[in-house]
Amino acid sequence: MDASEVEFLAEKEMVTVIPNFSLDKVYLIGGDLGPFNPGLPVQVPLWMAINLKQRQKCRIVPPEWMDVEKLEQIRDTERREETFTPMPNPHYMELTKLLLNHASDNIPKADEIRTLVKDTWDTRIAKLRLSADSFVREQEAHAKLDNLTLMEINTISTFFTESLNHMYKLRTSLQTPEDGQTQEY
Amino acid sequence: MWESYCAVEAGLGREENFLSLDDVLMSQEKLPCRLESGLARLGFLDKGGETEHIPQGSKMELPLWLVKGLYDNKRRIISVELPKIYRQGWRTVFSADANVVDLHKMGPHYYSFGSQLLNFDSPENTEIAQTLLQTFIGRFRRIMDSSQNAYNEDTSALVARLDELERVLFKAGQSGLNDFQNWERGQAAQITASSLVQSYKKRKFHETDT
Repeated sequence: MDASEVEFLAEKEMVTVIPNFSLDKVYLIGGDLGPFNPGLPVQVPLWMAINLKQRQKCRIVPPEWMDVEKLEQIRDTERREETFTPMPNPHYMELTKLLLNHASDNIPKADEIRTLVKDTWDTRIAKLRLSADSFVREQEAHAKLDNLTLMEINTISTFFTESLNHMYKLRTSLQTPEDGQTQEY
Repeated sequence: MWESYCAVEAGLGREENFLSLDDVLMSQEKLPCRLESGLARLGFLDKGGETEHIPQGSKMELPLWLVKGLYDNKRRIISVELPKIYRQGWRTVFSADANVVDLHKMGPHYYSFGSQLLNFDSPENTEIAQTLLQTFIGRFRRIMDSSQNAYNEDTSALVARLDELERVLFKAGQSGLNDFQNWERGQAAQITASSLVQSYKKRKFHETDT
């Protein structure tokens, strides 16, 4: 999977915007949006929010978790715990990137938020690698990866599944083949 | 990113993968053998010897594909000796620390070739298979970390000591990292021409040139 495909999936997340125009309810396949009234907050998917923002038709209200104090807390628990802690949003990385790139003027302390999210991400990736290594070392058969987000899985999945394939093959050659399988010419 | 050529990965086991280029290359690695019966009038094959026949008991280095064809438990034409990297001495080295070994120098197809050796019913089969697995596990962390951290730098020093199989893995890890970094820096959103189209244009230009 491509990182941009993950981003595409993340664009379905709902965010709150405050429009500066008025429009009746829009009926889309994915659900009805609106009605839009100037100054009244309304929930729209991220892709629409960014589009409206680019045309300067709205102001984006940052999600509740996109706040320096909350993110600091998240980062600290992430560093403290050994397992993965639940993230405020399954697409936190994509949301942060898209919102900060397109609507940094609507988000207070954008730079600090960027750093905090990046720190959390780095901690989680390090943990992911650590657990992948112990998974391989112990030759476990299955693992439970709670609270991992799609983007995180995506960065390591090709490499990891390929290694597991190799390991599986090396392990099957450990067992002597059954007599029925040897071919006589 | 789609590429025009999709590499077939090595079979890695008792059976090699017919379509895998890595396995084809691997199958011509030399394997020390001892002839259990004389070969009449094949002396010309042995460059060093001037005799007409190859006598019984002579030692030769034969490519793996030939050994696989000749080896037969009942007819006993040849017997296979283990290359030194799969013998006891080296196995101890691998179990001590697999990371220090230059697997590329020791025969670039360490894992595939080792798995193929299991075909020849050596008494040390179990140990060999065990060592192959443990070596892979021991080197896994190093490959993972180096492939996921080396962004935009020269990786030739990192892959120099890797086996062919590990290089494929390294590449997979690198593409995961590069993909993510590209996205993060906003380059993934830029629309570029497909690599297929680009190489097609080049070929066109080349053709008009001649």
